[in-house]
Formats: sequence, C-alpha cells, structure tokens
Amino acid sequence: MARLQDTPPRGGIDIRDLSMTYRRGREVTQALSACSLTIPEGGWASLIGASGCGKSTLLRILADIVQPSGGSAMLSGMTPAEARATRGFALVSQQSVLLPWRRMLENVELGLEVARADKAERRKRAEEAIELVGLRGFERAYPHELSGGMRQRAAIARALTLRPRFLLMDEPFGALDELTRASLNFELLRILEETSATLLLVTHSIAEAIILSDVVAVMSPRPGRIVHQLEIGFGHHRTDAMRDDPAFAAYEAELRHALHGDPGVTRQPIRQPAFA
Amino acid sequence: MSLSMADGGAMAWRGVERVVPPALGLAALLLAWGVLTETGVIAAYLLPKPAAVLTEILTNNEPLWRHGKLTATEALLGFAIGNSVGVVVAVLMGWFPAFKRCVMPLALVTRGMPMVAITPILVLMLDRGLVPIVTVVSIAVYFPTLITMVRGLESADVEYHELLHSLSADRLQRLLIVELPAALPYLFTSLKIGASIAFIVAITGEWVGASAGLGYLIVISGEYFKLAMMWSAIIVASGLTLATLGCVMLAERLLGRWTARGEGMA
Repeated sequence: MARLQDTPPRGGIDIRDLSMTYRRGREVTQALSACSLTIPEGGWASLIGASGCGKSTLLRILADIVQPSGGSAMLSGMTPAEARATRGFALVSQQSVLLPWRRMLENVELGLEVARADKAERRKRAEEAIELVGLRGFERAYPHELSGGMRQRAAIARALTLRPRFLLMDEPFGALDELTRASLNFELLRILEETSATLLLVTHSIAEAIILSDVVAVMSPRPGRIVHQLEIGFGHHRTDAMRDDPAFAAYEAELRHALHGDPGVTRQPIRQPAFA
Repeated sequence: MSLSMADGGAMAWRGVERVVPPALGLAALLLAWGVLTETGVIAAYLLPKPAAVLTEILTNNEPLWRHGKLTATEALLGFAIGNSVGVVVAVLMGWFPAFKRCVMPLALVTRGMPMVAITPILVLMLDRGLVPIVTVVSIAVYFPTLITMVRGLESADVEYHELLHSLSADRLQRLLIVELPAALPYLFTSLKIGASIAFIVAITGEWVGASAGLGYLIVISGEYFKLAMMWSAIIVASGLTLATLGCVMLAERLLGRWTARGEGMA
C-alpha cells in the first residue's frame, strides 16, 4: 500500500488527503475524508466500495464537475480544471449520454466538434474510434435504435476521439446485462492496450475491477476513505482465461473481505424464519 | 414481393382509416346543415344554405381574396415576429439569469391581459390598419412561446451539461449543441398553439381596429345581412388557420424525426 504512494508519478493521477463535505441546509454529509490514491502513468486502477461511499464523488472531483472541500487531486501535474481546459481526460458514465437527436457518428464526433477540430480530421478520428469499439455499420443509427451495449460502445468511442491521457469511467457498464458487461470488459482491455491511457474506473463489480486493473482500491462506507489496495499481477496482456486462474479467485476473496470488513470475524448464521 | 404487397396494403388501409372517419363526420355535418336550412327549420336569414355559401365562394370570391390576403399577412407577420421575439428573449433569459429574474414576473403579469382589450389602445397609439393588428398578434403569440421556450431550454438532463462541461464547451456551444435542440419539441408545441392564436387575434383585432381583413368583412357582411359572404369569410379564416397549422406540423415532422418516434431525452 505504502509502496504505491512512495513515488508520486508526474504523468499519472495523484490524489492526496482529498475530502468532500456536502451541505444541504443544516444537514452536513461527509462524502470523502482523507482520501489518497496514486496511479502511475498508463496504469489501470479501480475504485470499489458500497454504494454511496463517495467513489463517484472522487471521480467527479477529478473531472472538475465538483470542487473538493480539502486536499488535492492532480492529473499529470495539472489541477482538474487545467486538465479539463486542455481536454486531457475523457469521462464515461453509466448512462451513455448520447444526444438523442444526433446519429451515432455525429455523437462520436461531438468532442472534436466542441474542440473545433476541422471536419476531415473529426470524421477520420471518429471513424477510427468507431472501428476500435466495433460499431462499424451503425454510424447512421440514432441512439434509440442501438442496444444498451452499443450505446455504451459509442460513448467510449466518443471518449477515445480526443485521445485522452486519462480515462475516467463511472460504472460504465453498470446498466448492462452480465454477458454484455463481460464481453465489454475484455474489449475495453484491448482498447486500453492500444491507447496507453491511464484508467480510473469506478465500479461495484469485484470481477470487473480485477479484470480491468493493476491496482484495486477499496473504499470504506461514508465518509469514503481508501482502506485497502490490492495489486493485480496479471500484467497488461490479459485474456479471458485470467478468470480461470486460481489467483483470480484469491483476489476476489481478498477484495470481498476488504469490502465487508475484517475477514477474521465470523458472520452471524442466517436465521431461519420461526414459522417456516 | 408478397410481403411488400401486404405492407402496401396495410399502409393503404391505415390511410383509409385516417381519412374516412373525419370525412364521414364532415359529410354528416354538411348533410345536417343542408337538411335544416333547405327544410326551413332554421331560417335562411339566420343560417344560409350550404349551396348559397358555395356559390358565394365560387362566384364572388374577389372580396374573400382581398380581405383574406390581408388577414393572412397580418397573422403570419405577427406569428413570425412574436415567435422570434419569444425565442430570443427566452435564450437571453437562459443566458442571463438576472435578466430572467427582472423580466419573467412582468411577462407573467402581461400574459393575463386580454388581447381584445389592448387592441383599442394600440389603435390609438399606432392608427388603424396593418400595424396595430400585427402588433397585437405578435404580443399574443409571444407569450406562450416565451414561457414554453424557457422551459424547453432548461429541459435537457444535467448529464448532457456535465458532458459538455467535461469537453470544455463554451456557453454558445452549450446553447447550440444541447439547449436549443432539446427545446425544439417545446417550440413546436407553442408554434401549433400560436398558429391558431395568430388568426383568432388578427380577426378580433380587425373587428375593433381595422377597415379591412376577414374580421372586418365578417362584421360588415353581418350588418348588411350578407350571410353567405359572412359564412364564406368564416370558412376562409378556418382554412387559413388549418393551412398554417399544417405547415407547422410538416416542419416538425421534417426537423424533429427523433421526437416523432416518441423518444424523449434520456
């Protein structure tokens, strides 16, 4: 755990003592407290934790959507605002957020359109990204004509057109069924290997976190803090076979224990209803 | 082949289903009108015979053309001006929240004013004729468009704004890429309302403040008991309203195909 934080990499993500307090009237919610995490350049990290533990808040701070109450978050030595201004990161969320009145190709081109790239460049890069996510042939479809998995692929393609150094993903496959999710996990791996982007993925799936990460960080329930970090030793050329590796099951068990508290404590036996 | 023929048949049947029932309704109305007037149940000086109205439209249509053209000009000019101003003010309100806070209460108060009541004031200020009528139509059309456009511009989900924020979009890009397209279905709703408002207000405005136009023709024909001309003018006025409404609906279908399929923002 300490080992990862000893060498703060300039090119990666560096989160230090981040805290976040929401105030709504008199009600004060501490979403994050003294949260620290370091991801080296080109590294893949996942954040897992119970819902409401602040993992999305952490991502939204990095994406410059909300401002932290304390601490710092840096992307390649830049503040989130600076990184956003240079379009250094791309955000993919659970909802694909495709504009319903635009065809898929026009949706994928959106980032470059906003960046005022010229038309030919826009089209070329969008077509490359569409090819990469395997959506060739659906360029002219409207979002409602695509399946949930295809819409999410389109959202990833839109993120890739800007060739971001950082991919910030907030439960990107959370709304998909298990089979689609698993196949997209491995497609994302293939894409990550081609793009060399640094990934920070927020997920509540332990398996997804292991498949897609070098480091899995476990967050405590609110106020969110990183309580455990696990290095995943599968390297960067991963295949479907990794799931059958005994190490996979061991990682899964360790993360499950970290999520549910002290592994030494025996769980209460499930009580049978008395009237059964 | 057989499948496409079956499709063609189904489409033709849907066409029949759409056209035949309203046509039957109209035929029944005309028949009742004809029977009641021809048998003298309703006296000819109260309601002319359908044939008399038809003859009037076919033979004496010069006044209908002249007055109809004027009313159409007033209504359509007012429609265009009122809607443009409504859209522009709504965009400004979205852009400058302080402006919205200043103007919105005023706009809501003015919305309660009866348009017929302000026409005489406008006639006093602007003299009789085209200008006060176009003005009163513009004012009447402007309010529903302003109110619905303010809501429409705010209708896009926050996720779309966060997406554009993460892409470092500027304010104008947010307006053009998200807010205006999201407001388009709202705009068409108010354009459809505005199309009939424009003609109603133009015609009532002419009663009060003009010496020409279909409203004037209806009043004058009534005073001289030229009932066939009066009814012809009413029919022409309805026809113009429906034609405008049809154009708006056609534009909506061409521009907003994604909404026509029942897809919302999600």
